[in-house]
Amino acid sequence: MNKELEHSFVEQLQKHQNIVHKVCRLYTNNVDAHNDLFQEITIQLWKAFPKFRGDAKFSTWMYRVGLNTAITLYRKSKRRIDTQAFDSVEFKIKSEDYDDTEEQQLKLLYQAVHQLNDIEKALVFLYLEDKDYREISTTLGITEVNARVKMNRVKKKLKTILNP
Amino acid sequence: MDELELLKKDWNKSNTQYKSFSDSDIYKMSHKKSSTIVKTLFYISLAELVFWIFINFLPFVLSDRMKAQLEEMSHSWIYIGLNILSYAVIVLFIYLLWNAQKSISVTDNAKKLMESILKTRKIIKYYVLYNLLIALISIPISLYFSINEHPEISEKLSTASSTQLAMILLITILVTAVFLTLIWLFYKLIYGILIKRLNANYNELKKLEV
Repeated sequence: MNKELEHSFVEQLQKHQNIVHKVCRLYTNNVDAHNDLFQEITIQLWKAFPKFRGDAKFSTWMYRVGLNTAITLYRKSKRRIDTQAFDSVEFKIKSEDYDDTEEQQLKLLYQAVHQLNDIEKALVFLYLEDKDYREISTTLGITEVNARVKMNRVKKKLKTILNP
Repeated sequence: MDELELLKKDWNKSNTQYKSFSDSDIYKMSHKKSSTIVKTLFYISLAELVFWIFINFLPFVLSDRMKAQLEEMSHSWIYIGLNILSYAVIVLFIYLLWNAQKSISVTDNAKKLMESILKTRKIIKYYVLYNLLIALISIPISLYFSINEHPEISEKLSTASSTQLAMILLITILVTAVFLTLIWLFYKLIYGILIKRLNANYNELKKLEV
């Protein structure tokens, strides 16, 4: 493969790697799984890179490939058990705990987001990255209206997880 | 405050907390072997294709008598026709599989990507179904012909009562059906485990359209 192409790819990914890290943060919950997903996204990005025309921003293109890889990745059973162990942690949130510090709230929020399914996570991710509904809808392949509807449902679901 | 707004505030300020991979780390990673579901599905599809082609050739390998019989039959136009047909079907499936595989692109939107992956799997599903159907049809037929060809068996059968004949027929069909169902269940199990998540994710997006 073209050395120049490779160099340009590595350079750009190195610069924007935080995007990949953020995808991994939402979709995994331990260091090993995080690094595995990072590697898989890197492989997919590199495989698709020759077709990257530069008509979109490199970072925008990364969002799509990164999320697609996370959504369609087949997770090995070892990791599934990890997720289950994580999910089964009980979140007993009493009202006084919830009004605690902001830090505590954030911790619970991240835990709640980890309980969402892959598609809901993708919506949350794009929302956190400040993407508008048009971009959310084209990334996921749904209509803008449906993206809004789904986002509202995700917000409600998060509320229910936090205040059962 | 909205929960997500709070999260967003933290999300954007925690930019620096991740381990930064160097150029050479990224270079090494991009050359590792992928372990996506697309790859796995492709290898399983290939294995299945090879398996069924092997099954089709089995009579040649298994016994000389069968081979001789098949060679004798090879002059009949039905046999030649069937052979051409079965190879055409294999070629058709390889072509369809290759096309479906090629249309899978990680840069499509999520829904389209999942659609292409599921379509690839469907093609293999139809190939397996086709083979099971052929087996279901050909086992009783070949049994019938081999009984006809062997006078000692047909003589014994001619003395058997009609209830006995019915029993033999029933048992043959039953055994064939059970055997094929087992293969089918085994197949469902493999794919069921493999694409459970993918299906769930696809349905999640599909659900929104209703």
